[in-house]
Amino acid sequence: MTTLRRTSSLKRTQQRMAVLFILPALAVYALFVLYPLAMSLWGSFFIWKGLRMVEFAGLSNFSRLFVFPSGARLYGALWHNTAWFFGIMVFQNGIGLLLAWLLFLRDKGAAFFQSVFFFPAVLSPVIVGALWRLLLAPGGVVEWALNGLGMHQGSLTVLGNSHAALGMLIAVDAWNWMGLPVLIYTAGLRQISGQIFEAAKLDGAGNARMLFSVALPLLMPALGTLTTLSFINTFNQFDIVYVMQGVQGNPSYSTDTLVTYFYRLAFGAEGAVGITDIGLALALGTMLFLILGVGTLLMLRFFDRRTVQL
Amino acid sequence: MNALAISDRPMISRQLARLPGWAVLAVWTAAVLLPLYILVVSCFKTTAEIYDNRLGLPQSWALDNFVNAWTRADLGHNFINSLIVTGGAVILTIVVSAMAAYPLSRYRLGWNAVMLGLFLSGIMLPIRLASVELFTLMRNLGLLDSLTGLILVYSAIRIPFAVFIFANFMRVLPSELDEAARMDGAGEVRILFQIILPMVKPAVSIVAIFTAIAVWNDFFFPLIFIFDDRYKTVPLAISVFVGQFRTDWGLVFASLAISMAPILIMYCLLARQIREGVGAGGGMK
Repeated sequence: MTTLRRTSSLKRTQQRMAVLFILPALAVYALFVLYPLAMSLWGSFFIWKGLRMVEFAGLSNFSRLFVFPSGARLYGALWHNTAWFFGIMVFQNGIGLLLAWLLFLRDKGAAFFQSVFFFPAVLSPVIVGALWRLLLAPGGVVEWALNGLGMHQGSLTVLGNSHAALGMLIAVDAWNWMGLPVLIYTAGLRQISGQIFEAAKLDGAGNARMLFSVALPLLMPALGTLTTLSFINTFNQFDIVYVMQGVQGNPSYSTDTLVTYFYRLAFGAEGAVGITDIGLALALGTMLFLILGVGTLLMLRFFDRRTVQL
Repeated sequence: MNALAISDRPMISRQLARLPGWAVLAVWTAAVLLPLYILVVSCFKTTAEIYDNRLGLPQSWALDNFVNAWTRADLGHNFINSLIVTGGAVILTIVVSAMAAYPLSRYRLGWNAVMLGLFLSGIMLPIRLASVELFTLMRNLGLLDSLTGLILVYSAIRIPFAVFIFANFMRVLPSELDEAARMDGAGEVRILFQIILPMVKPAVSIVAIFTAIAVWNDFFFPLIFIFDDRYKTVPLAISVFVGQFRTDWGLVFASLAISMAPILIMYCLLARQIREGVGAGGGMK
């Protein structure tokens, strides 16, 4: 009887303590993340005057998003983000797999190479962008090196070239984050039992066969993590574009992304300087939220189904 | 068996077969280190010298660029702001997240899973999309142009990840730990901060490292919340320098070097923890 009473009083104390303990974190998180996010989604269905909600507008913000003058910006940015994602998948997560495999095959030096490869990832994208902007500038060291090697003549203007700029930004982003796939793949490879590789070797599989037919199917969880992270990061891409090409995604919007477009609509640099269109910005935000949410769920499911159980 | 067959092959041909692999690793190592090397040596050169002598060591190890960046461009001020914001956000995130994770992972409340789910959903939420409403909220709270405002926003963003890490580490501690302390009459606050938290030091360091990196590097929120030069953080200042001092390359290189110095020092000290943390969770960004 007494023990029962003691447990129930302990339960009551615990409930009270739990609320007190959780409250500070929950309050900060709810006030500065959940509330503004919910209000932004809700606000995308309203007409706005400056920073004030005026009246319910149904889906009119969304339909404005897809037509002139916003349509061209939207489709442009959507395409740049998509290209960015596939570029990162091939150049960052593809080359990263090769590097991780090479490190996995060598017992010596793996920690050193991993540390070097990952270092740019702890730097701010602003620093990375600023550094590469200086290196790639006309008169910069890359121009000097290419001219010296006879691979290029005259002034290097890749960042001012609307056909080349986006590709350069994707390459800089891959340089920035190459260490991430290397670390995640090597962690995944080390979890695979050595017996599997031994067995494959006995069957006469070479290194390439071993990577693609044996290791890769077992790396599905790692590939899933990387694909999802790369998807979220590329569709949130802002810093590198802002620092290297300006908030307009120069030249002539060729490096514009959904978040730089969102920023211009929300904080004013679209069309005439200082003009904002909050309704349009929030509609774009809601759309991006849906793209990210649905895309992430689909990817997680896709890779979950392809995870090989042993 | 096969391992034997391989070692039968002469040593030299085995090493030769590995040469292309080493070459690939060396190429990417150079691709990472060369730009950073150029960054470091350019800090000590004048702009003219940067043009004349691209890859060589500087003529003299003059600190003029650093002094100019620190004082003329006032990077010192930004540096202190970044330190305050990063330190504040790390401490606040650790304290409130550990407090929340303790009952969620160790009490039987009946609503643990729901509340934990609410926190965890925040790991993936694209908070930048909420920046318009967040701006209005910050303005109404008087938190624009304020380091406190930045600390609160960053903590809010990092809390989900921190709660997730703390809850995972605290869940596996034996339950005798807090029960024995409770028998001895210890209060819940003491149990958390004197018994549980010292047992999950690895979790504290993971949360501290990744919160510090994310906050130190962030550019987006200072860009929209800070207008007054007095409160600008390092990444925001750098984004201005790149345009403003575009002809004074030495100064820009020096300010880049200054702004990455704290992260570089931390990275050298904690490279192993960082590698393992990222490899295990990938919960970096």
